Amino acid sequence: MLSRVANSLYWLSRYMERCDGILRLLRVNYAYSQDDFEQFSWRPVLMIFSDMDGENIANVKHEGRKVLQYMITDRLNKNSVFNLVSKSRENARSVQDNVTKELWQCLNDYYHKVRLNDIATSLQKEDPVSIIDDLVQQGMHYYGTCEITMARGEGYYFMNIGKYLERAMQSVDILNVKFSELNYSLEERSDPTYWKYLLLSISGYEIFLKSYRSALDSRNILHQIVWNEHFPRSIMYSVRRLKQSFETLKSDRNGEAYKAISFMIGKLESSIKYSDLKDLESKGLQEYLQEIKQDLLAIGHAFNHYYFAFN
Amino acid sequence: MDSSTLFNNYPISNEFYDEMYNKNEIRPSYKKLYDFLRNFPAEELSKKEEMARRLFMSQGVTFTVYSGDEGIEKIFPFDVIPRIITASEWAYIESGIKQRLKALNHFLNDIYSNQFIIKDKVMPIDMIYSCEHYLREMHNLKVPHDIFVHISGIDIIRDFDGTFYVLEDNLRTPSGVSYMLENREITKRIFPDLLPQNNVRTVTQYPQILYKNLAALSPRHNSNPNIVMLTPGIYNSAYFEHSTLARLMGIELVEGRDLVVDNHRVFMKTTEGLQRVDVIYRRVDDEYLDPLVFNSDSMLGVAGLMSAYRKGHVAIVNAPGNGVADDKAIYIYVPDMIKYYLNEEPILKNVPTYKMEDASERKHVFENIEKMVIKKTNGSGGYGMIIGNSATEQEIDDYKKVVLEDPRQFIAQPIISLSASPCYIDGKLQPRRIDLRPFALFGPSGIEIVPGGLTRVALKEGSLVVNSSQGGGSKDTWVLSV
Repeated sequence: MLSRVANSLYWLSRYMERCDGILRLLRVNYAYSQDDFEQFSWRPVLMIFSDMDGENIANVKHEGRKVLQYMITDRLNKNSVFNLVSKSRENARSVQDNVTKELWQCLNDYYHKVRLNDIATSLQKEDPVSIIDDLVQQGMHYYGTCEITMARGEGYYFMNIGKYLERAMQSVDILNVKFSELNYSLEERSDPTYWKYLLLSISGYEIFLKSYRSALDSRNILHQIVWNEHFPRSIMYSVRRLKQSFETLKSDRNGEAYKAISFMIGKLESSIKYSDLKDLESKGLQEYLQEIKQDLLAIGHAFNHYYFAFN
Repeated sequence: MDSSTLFNNYPISNEFYDEMYNKNEIRPSYKKLYDFLRNFPAEELSKKEEMARRLFMSQGVTFTVYSGDEGIEKIFPFDVIPRIITASEWAYIESGIKQRLKALNHFLNDIYSNQFIIKDKVMPIDMIYSCEHYLREMHNLKVPHDIFVHISGIDIIRDFDGTFYVLEDNLRTPSGVSYMLENREITKRIFPDLLPQNNVRTVTQYPQILYKNLAALSPRHNSNPNIVMLTPGIYNSAYFEHSTLARLMGIELVEGRDLVVDNHRVFMKTTEGLQRVDVIYRRVDDEYLDPLVFNSDSMLGVAGLMSAYRKGHVAIVNAPGNGVADDKAIYIYVPDMIKYYLNEEPILKNVPTYKMEDASERKHVFENIEKMVIKKTNGSGGYGMIIGNSATEQEIDDYKKVVLEDPRQFIAQPIISLSASPCYIDGKLQPRRIDLRPFALFGPSGIEIVPGGLTRVALKEGSLVVNSSQGGGSKDTWVLSV
């Protein structure tokens, strides 16, 4: 496969994954803001997914509609849903012969939907949840089309690599921001709704209730998001899937690249697998998360270096 | 004359050939379509039109117009009423194009080697050296199987009496074939069963024929040659076509930056290292192909490509240098080429053409300017031309000045009253002027022309300019088998 094509597929998939993550986060946070308008702040969302500085965030952190507009339709915010979908489509367009016609059409439809002007108006005047739901659905359509139509070849696996690397980073970022509000202390007692909405925003509330059956305790929350292999957004799950997808790329023709990245992914997987809450607490949560994030970034750079460098 | 609202007040004119009506009679080839449409409510047709628009949009069959930072997606307008060509008309067109291409291909082989046509004084030598698309770099370069024009689009028009003429030959990187294929797919969706009922010949084999021809050119004789399509990238207006053809043939779509030349061999950069490339179907113009040989600023080409080509390590389709054969001034000599190389009478006629370089012909053109079209010899897309009966006096005077500066770059032709085909416009059928571009594939086993082509239509009332950049659209083109 052409390096440029692999690179485009990887980014197409990363952007779509980020887009999905953002939309879910927005949906739940909006609901949260209706429940608890005194405590609620958009700060964490803006911290994770935007370039806004502290001052600007302080200005809009209680202005839900403005934040939604900024995060969904703003042309200048490079992580707005509009820009993510556009970039995804642009990538698909440049490799149109390497994605199925159905997948291209799905991304193309998504693009035409999200660039309509009435989305911006509706976000100001109507029920934003219906609009977000509609966009999330379009994203689900993308995931389904990808699973059903894409040949299980290099292209599909590069897309998965992008997807799971992005997802792992998102989960780390979400933990980072949510716990930074509590100064990374696991003892800090917090309002249960705080955790409930965190879980809801990553579709992890139901699985949490089934797995832990206990109160919304910060240690259980951490366990679910870092280690729970049955939870499809946990860091462990994402890294495992990343590893599986990567292993399909093994080939005689690119041994050096394979060995280097295989080592990095294996090392990250082991460091998560063979650590527990106790290690985490002795190291400090902030430090622990920082290390995982660094490893993920290094893996991304290694892909650039070994597989996508075509210039 | 007709109770159906669609055909109500359809104007019959003597000024042009109507593809559907012969005076007040429906031509036999259009009879079935006519019967079908007569029972078709106009609102339904509007729905079909909207459905076609949505299908094009959702499939991304669009070209992008950039204004500001955000691109606007435009559809090449599609008219739902097909254009019909009878079996005998097609047989005539097909034989005429094959003859013409054979002669043009002989001409290219000759002009880049012995130049007998000049030595025998059939064509003056300055016609060649004054042509900016003549490539010295191609001189004495042996192209595989002696084929230069692997893929061509020959533009054909009909005068008021129905006679077919060749308007121009497109031998460099003709585009539009994806619209031939897509228009047919859309017709299948909007008018189910209509194609088999009318015995319409299929066009879907085009990518397979092209692939077969490309594979036959591979310099390495292995069973699975590496064939790529070279595109300028997503910002090119024909990008949709490039990706569609690559997909339909299952070949890799590459950009210049994906390729590298090492030791006179071309490779593509893959996730598994470098992979040898055997055949390049390029949609990049000659002057951008290789910055070492042509335009040194080109970012679209591949440094060293021409040297690999010259050594015979890679095949390039179409061959560089074809522009000398589809130059509008050289066009004048094509009938002579047919006689000279094939010893045959031309089947398809040329439109009478005046060389502006020739003082007496120029005088004649300027005196009869209201009946003339003046064109640039290397122009395309309907740009750089002036139509005598629709330009203002000021425009004509300005144009004359430009012509006089370098008359070799201009030719003139009498205004041809293009034939018209019914189009669905504003809720009823109205005649609009059309042309036809069939696509011919020239491979080691001969010339094949898929029965069909791109029918372009001038959607503005009375307009004779069919180019998409000038408000033109297209139609599905049916060639009947009986």
